[in-house]
Amino acid sequence: MNKLSQLLLAPIKASEEFAERFLFHRRILVLVVFSFITLFLAWQATQIRPDASFVKMIPTSHPYVENYLKNRDDLAGLGNSIRVAVAVNEGDIFTAEFQQTLQQITDELFFIPGVDRSALKSIWTPNVRWTEVTEEGFVGGPVIPAEYDGSSETLEQVRVNVLRSGQVGRLVANDFRSAIVQVPLFDKHPDTGEKLNYQELSQQLESLIRDKYTSDSISIHITGFAKVVGDLIEGAAQVAVFFGIAMVITLVLLYLYSRSITGTLVPLGCSVIAVIWQLGLLKLLGYGLDPYSMLVPFLVFAIAVSHGVQIVNTIAQESARGADSWLAARRAFRALYIPGLTALLSDGLGFITLIVIEIQVIQDLAIAASLGVAVIILTNLFLLPVIMSLVGIGDHATQRARRAEQNHNSFWRKLTWFSQPKGALFAVAVALLLLMGGLYQGQNLQIGDLDTGAPELRQDSRYNTDNRFITENYSTSSDIFVVMVTTEAEQCSSFASLALVDRFQYYLTNIEGVQSSVSLVDVSKRVTAGLNEGSLKWRTVSRNQLVINASLSYVPAGLMNPSCSLLPVIIFLDDHKAATLERLTAAVEQFAAANDSEEINFEMAAGNSGFEAATNEVIGTAQYQMLAWVYGVVGLLCLLTFRSLKTLVCIIAPLALTSILCQALMASMGIGVKVATLPVIALGVGIGVDYGIYIYSKMNTYLVQGLPLKEAYLNTLETTGKSVAFTGLTLAIGVVLWVLSPIKFQADMGILLTFMFLWNMLGALILLPALACLLNCGPASGSKQPISSDLEVNDVV
Amino acid sequence: MLQNRPVIRCLLLAVALFGASFSMVSVADRLSVPALTTFRADQTLLLDVAIAGDQLIAVGDQGTVIRSGDEGLTWQQLKTPFSVMLTSIFFTDEQHGWLVGHDGLLAKTEDSGVSWRKLLDGDQINHLRLSRLQAWVSELEAQVHAEPDNEKLAEQFDTAQWQADDAAAALEEGPSVPLLDIWFADDQRGFALGGYGLLLKTDDAGESWQYWGDRLDNPDSFHLNAMTADHRGYLYIIGEAGLLFRSVDQGEHWERLDSPYDGSLFAITEYQDNLYLMGLRGHLYRSVDGLEWQAIDTGFSASLVGAVASKDRLVLLGHGGLVVQSRDGKRFSRVDSGSRRSISAGAGLPGKYVLVGEGGVRTLEADNE
Repeated sequence: MNKLSQLLLAPIKASEEFAERFLFHRRILVLVVFSFITLFLAWQATQIRPDASFVKMIPTSHPYVENYLKNRDDLAGLGNSIRVAVAVNEGDIFTAEFQQTLQQITDELFFIPGVDRSALKSIWTPNVRWTEVTEEGFVGGPVIPAEYDGSSETLEQVRVNVLRSGQVGRLVANDFRSAIVQVPLFDKHPDTGEKLNYQELSQQLESLIRDKYTSDSISIHITGFAKVVGDLIEGAAQVAVFFGIAMVITLVLLYLYSRSITGTLVPLGCSVIAVIWQLGLLKLLGYGLDPYSMLVPFLVFAIAVSHGVQIVNTIAQESARGADSWLAARRAFRALYIPGLTALLSDGLGFITLIVIEIQVIQDLAIAASLGVAVIILTNLFLLPVIMSLVGIGDHATQRARRAEQNHNSFWRKLTWFSQPKGALFAVAVALLLLMGGLYQGQNLQIGDLDTGAPELRQDSRYNTDNRFITENYSTSSDIFVVMVTTEAEQCSSFASLALVDRFQYYLTNIEGVQSSVSLVDVSKRVTAGLNEGSLKWRTVSRNQLVINASLSYVPAGLMNPSCSLLPVIIFLDDHKAATLERLTAAVEQFAAANDSEEINFEMAAGNSGFEAATNEVIGTAQYQMLAWVYGVVGLLCLLTFRSLKTLVCIIAPLALTSILCQALMASMGIGVKVATLPVIALGVGIGVDYGIYIYSKMNTYLVQGLPLKEAYLNTLETTGKSVAFTGLTLAIGVVLWVLSPIKFQADMGILLTFMFLWNMLGALILLPALACLLNCGPASGSKQPISSDLEVNDVV
Repeated sequence: MLQNRPVIRCLLLAVALFGASFSMVSVADRLSVPALTTFRADQTLLLDVAIAGDQLIAVGDQGTVIRSGDEGLTWQQLKTPFSVMLTSIFFTDEQHGWLVGHDGLLAKTEDSGVSWRKLLDGDQINHLRLSRLQAWVSELEAQVHAEPDNEKLAEQFDTAQWQADDAAAALEEGPSVPLLDIWFADDQRGFALGGYGLLLKTDDAGESWQYWGDRLDNPDSFHLNAMTADHRGYLYIIGEAGLLFRSVDQGEHWERLDSPYDGSLFAITEYQDNLYLMGLRGHLYRSVDGLEWQAIDTGFSASLVGAVASKDRLVLLGHGGLVVQSRDGKRFSRVDSGSRRSISAGAGLPGKYVLVGEGGVRTLEADNE
């Protein structure tokens, strides 16, 4: 173990000497190089574009999604579509004025790039038809008659056609006061291969449709995944404002803390550089900013500031002991190189473990965050001390540090109670109580989204208002789950297939949360009844194959594939709560198990709720996998650094408590584990471990010097502890503002991260020494060469 | 399509001769697989409702049978050993009832619907039909031999032969003919009627059935949709293409009456000793004697498919949620049924109507004007 870790740490130690020598002897060169890189990356960063893709947000290796991707070409419009409801404020839709507007909107949508024109549907498109039997035979036609001229006769004809088209509740509202244009989208354009630009699409919907056609008599309601993404990107952009506010607050706090202008501006500047580098590198690597990774710059900034504070703090102490700017900066560099590197490495590795979750937005987030952390090593660990060595910390800050060293602060002294057996027992007992409470409350933690509508957005957002409008006025909800029934070629419409699917749809009516379902069977039944004068008594699957074939002479797009081997059953749900989806998937699985055969298979799943079900399943298993990874990696790093199991416990236990309390908080606040909140725990652990590492390594220095735990702890509190407390606050300030975000999940992340940053800080300051006391930790054996600010710099020239 | 039925039958025959196997009744067939239960059974497509004592029983899609003991407020789904669409139900008293459905299903209950016993299915009906038609062909053959110059007899013989061939083909095709209505004159004698001219008769409460379709003059095998009796005890059967038959001898012999309409007729009812005939596209006719019919214009063009006649009110039910009512039987006014979903049948209770159709059950308060 010793040998191994020495082997592993050897390059870090060797790199320290090399880096130190290079940085502090080639300061101008270093500054010039950094300046050029920063300029270049800043130019890159300005070109970074918001980006979101449907496929990126779903777990592509989950069997449901694999099934979908296998059949994706045949499932036009079921994967990704938007619905535009055009509503009258007074009267009904059967007026010439309204119909003209609806026609114009249909045309307008037809020409928006990314729209699958062949599958676009409204009562004005020719693919929406009515059928009926008269004395003369079977007749049918488009809903809008060819001779339509806006006269009251032809409008009456439209009304009649709408009624017999079976579109009431689908394309026409149940109360006849609005009509829908259904707009399927290409995620990737089949001809040009171009990716759908959600932001552009969303803006076009706003300007070409909503703004243009909203009037005193007409209102527009738009729903669909693409609109959610568009609104997300728009909302996420507002986050930039929070970034500004967070920076100002950090600036003020930094100054109050350091009382040094350089000690304020330099860490802040270096942290901004870190953000610029991170964004620029993302752009260089071909990434965009999706609404999830939009938050990474905040994290990078906050982490960078916290490391910057550690360094500035150490420099001030060194200056107080009489070192000049250059020596103070160099000593600070040496003192903090290893703990800083370890801390950042564990941050980065903690983030990178998110890659085990096979959902691309999370993987992208992992890469963006890890990259950001790697950048901080360069900007704040390397560049910052170099700049400080040039500008100095200032006399004011030096004197302040000197005073602080002489006068022990009574507040910190009180905290030392926790490093005495009595206080330690008390702290650990409280922690255990919290642990039990947390575990108990955490049982209620739910997977997935708990709110209706688009849970990414707030309940009172325009999107969710629109969504409620459509849910209330139409029989089809926007929560769609598709079961793909597969057969051998040409068998999808056989009597046996249709009869079984018919039974399946009846079976679905017994599942709570299912509103209704639609499939080829409904077409066959409806037309068979039509062939028999519309009599309801014939609205069933005929046992006569010729009748079935006749009933399917015209099939609306998307209900079967050209080779007749796929028959999707589209299920409309009340909501997409995890419980609803679980109930449905369990029921479908049960039906499939009882009825799957060589001839026919019931496969899940497509539709937004289908993907959500898959996402929930992935997240449900991934959350434990991710925790295992992040704790494994962080734990291993601590073990390598300190080479003591006791130390490991001291550092990890407070983090674990915070993780558990965070889950309890989520459960009690009704925040589910989902794509947005899953990374929070990894981020929290990754960042929280910094505190522990800094505190413990500092305390260890004093322990090695032979100080008793209480004294070592007090000294640590007055130096590193102070900056850890400060860091916890800065980080919390960086994220707490997200609570104001128009995007619900950013607000959720803000709450959770703030909570984790503060609790991790308290854990490191109180629980860590308490555990150290109870476990009777001596100086960690690994740090034979103590990392100390008291080291002489012996290779001055 | 309507005119093309003989062509289709020929095609069917051709397919059947080819030995297509799509008709084989498999183990998991809907004729023998019990209906699933669903808490939304009362929202399923329901096609008929009957009163059995103080209970209401409704039938519909997927073998659904539901029962209400509180005038239609709450419903319980009853277990059934089949899951075909059920089209009609008839009770002669509180316990005894019969229902029919697609695939020739005919079943009976003797305990108010709690348990159902299958009496017939489409395969058995096909055999009944074939043997009766073959017998009929032989009878006619003998008669034609006796009177070679009787053209009418020859024509009838052709029809019989064609129908017998058709019945033979149907045997291959499987139980594809639906029953659409069931009606009992008393607790022993009843009729079941359905698609393609299918008519069955029982004299022993349904324990045994005879094919009776050859008693009707229906050479094109049009669908038979409904049946009723008037206050004189005459029986009527109506159907597709304006079919209108009457029997004055309890159903032994049937005569084809001149029909006022050549589109489909869906329902026939008696109100204040007048007969009302209704069908496709809102056509409605009234007659005192069943022979002379007068058209009534209700002002609505949705198909009328059902009627509920009480002592002082006639209510007609139709597609698109159409409900019209009349007190004098001549002038009809629309009643708002609260929905545009099609209605299939209804039952009259004191002060209200229980209607069934698309979307299941709905109740309609009777207005007291």
